[in-house]
Amino acid sequence: MILRLLFVLFLCLGTALGQKPDKTIDLGQFPAETVDNVVIPVPSEIFTVLDKLGNPNWRGELGPEENYPASPNRTQVALLLGTVIADGFVAVEAEDSERVKKIGRNVLTLAEAINVRKSVVARSNSIIEKADAREWNAVRREFDGALQDVNQAMLELNDAQLAQLVSLGGWLRGTEVLTSIVKDKYSRDRAELLYQPMLVDYFNRQLDQMSPRLRRQQLVGEIRKSLGRIGPLIKKSRPSEISEETVTEINALATQMVELIRAKAG
Amino acid sequence: MNRPASRFRWPAALLALLLAAPAGRAFVDDALSFAYEAANPYAERGWIIREDAWGGDLGQGDKKAVTAQLFRGNSYMFFLATDIDGAALRVNIYDAEGNLAESKSWQRGRFAYAEIKPRSTGTYYAIVEIISSPEERTGWALVYGFQRK
Repeated sequence: MILRLLFVLFLCLGTALGQKPDKTIDLGQFPAETVDNVVIPVPSEIFTVLDKLGNPNWRGELGPEENYPASPNRTQVALLLGTVIADGFVAVEAEDSERVKKIGRNVLTLAEAINVRKSVVARSNSIIEKADAREWNAVRREFDGALQDVNQAMLELNDAQLAQLVSLGGWLRGTEVLTSIVKDKYSRDRAELLYQPMLVDYFNRQLDQMSPRLRRQQLVGEIRKSLGRIGPLIKKSRPSEISEETVTEINALATQMVELIRAKAG
Repeated sequence: MNRPASRFRWPAALLALLLAAPAGRAFVDDALSFAYEAANPYAERGWIIREDAWGGDLGQGDKKAVTAQLFRGNSYMFFLATDIDGAALRVNIYDAEGNLAESKSWQRGRFAYAEIKPRSTGTYYAIVEIISSPEERTGWALVYGFQRK
């Protein structure tokens, strides 16, 4: 511990020696990088902010209590897996340990259908164990980790497009919940959380670049269409000026997409 | 030619590199070890360190941008490291208009750090730069963490 503190002190000593950064830069210098290198936030980042914005009715946001069968359609399963992991965060916020455990098992079933079961077995077991112990922060971290593990496993299987669909499914369900909570008790502070233009562009770009086989799927086509409508809604406002009406519109679109994903996969 | 920055995870990235890594990726992975080592004390102080990371290699004077969606209400830290002895690098955070937005940053040799408490939710850019290096190409790794503050 002392060694670590000394290490941090050693690093901090460097502050005075460092060159001063430019006050402004021309982002046009980095056109390719800003497109390719994108940090997608993990759901915890949003939920930690939501924690501070009052006490939402998380139980009211829980999705349907279903056991999803393993569908042979990997596109649908990938999207559904993302939504189920996002459901896990809602169940954690609602402190519903039984629901969390059920979601943990659903994650395992869906992961199996897309050949990444092995990568999430440990996470799933840990989710169940920590939900039993009601260690909610730990459960959140496990769900974050499950999302990352699934993505990584798919990348290793050269299935980057499916990995993107898992992320997209999670983002859509997260957006549905977030907009529902914000419109339930609207404030500009809450609505600002929706200001994610870069992510909308990123997911749109990913869908545009998918293989023709995937793009031809009706579900993917519907999502592309709806996502194309969310982008302008978010971008038309400044971060602190997203209106209640806009929140309601985005919520309707996100809800429609999540329902479609569940219906196709169920 | 610049190798594109890539996102990878620890320790899965290490395993992959041990099995069949091009030479360039190997030193990126070493850089990742340094970045996590440097970030560890922050985890003990309540920061949640992301398990995935970003990395690549750059020539001296080269810069790279990593785009991030950050939320007002959280604090974020970016830790940059290289394994090249004698190299100096830095990371700084800019907002969508290109204005310096970090609350603090420092650089010391192979380590650099930037912290931001976003004034508004939106898009930010972590600009990674190799200030000097004894090598033609310098592997770098960027890890990132957040906390409620």
